[in-house]
Amino acid sequence: MEKKFKRDLRSLEKVFDFIDNFIAKQGIDHSIKNAVYLAIDELFTNMVRYHPKNRNDISLALKKEKNKVIIRLIDRDVEPFDITKSKDPNIQASLDERSPGGLGIYLTKNVVDNIQYEYRDRTSIITLTKNLGRKNV
Amino acid sequence: MFDIRMKDHGEVALSGRFDAAQVEKARSVFDQLTTTTVVDFKELDYISSAGLGVLMATQKRLKDAGHKLRLKNVTGHIRDVFNIARFDLIFDIE
Repeated sequence: MEKKFKRDLRSLEKVFDFIDNFIAKQGIDHSIKNAVYLAIDELFTNMVRYHPKNRNDISLALKKEKNKVIIRLIDRDVEPFDITKSKDPNIQASLDERSPGGLGIYLTKNVVDNIQYEYRDRTSIITLTKNLGRKNV
Repeated sequence: MFDIRMKDHGEVALSGRFDAAQVEKARSVFDQLTTTTVVDFKELDYISSAGLGVLMATQKRLKDAGHKLRLKNVTGHIRDVFNIARFDLIFDIE
């Protein structure tokens, strides 16, 4: 299943509906739902925030392969941002030292099993793999 | 559908999905808090880092005035996200 979404945080409700439809059609255990929501929500939100003036829609593709769900987000005409190289926030720090920055990608890394980043022709392609059966959030 | 409301006894109750599109709505309540306040997560189904950011910013602001947020009914997905983010280190979770 693949769909394009308007680059707007208000699209998140439609993104969640799209995920719900995918999970229902594929007969996937609902325990995976919040992990898939979170991984996609965080990356989609980053794409909206980092390129607010970009008029291109953001593509989301979901596919079930054996015991895995493959998630692909495609963002066109953007600067590169390799999330696999982003620095993790210091989650052990005191309240005074903590900031929300970087928490979204950190959460994503913790709820999926693999992340791949490709950048070509000014297009970012992020591919996430979520193993079914793993404990979910 | 996200909602945030003040209960009669001063608690803040959250429900639905708390994502980046809901930050403004949530801040309209959290920014009004001036004292130690209980936040009830019983009816909240989902939270992203945007929601965590609102909670963290409020906790920092209240701490400066000698107050804090106390979080209750943190279960399931919300508990797991808090565990990953180590919110147990910076919040009282009942």
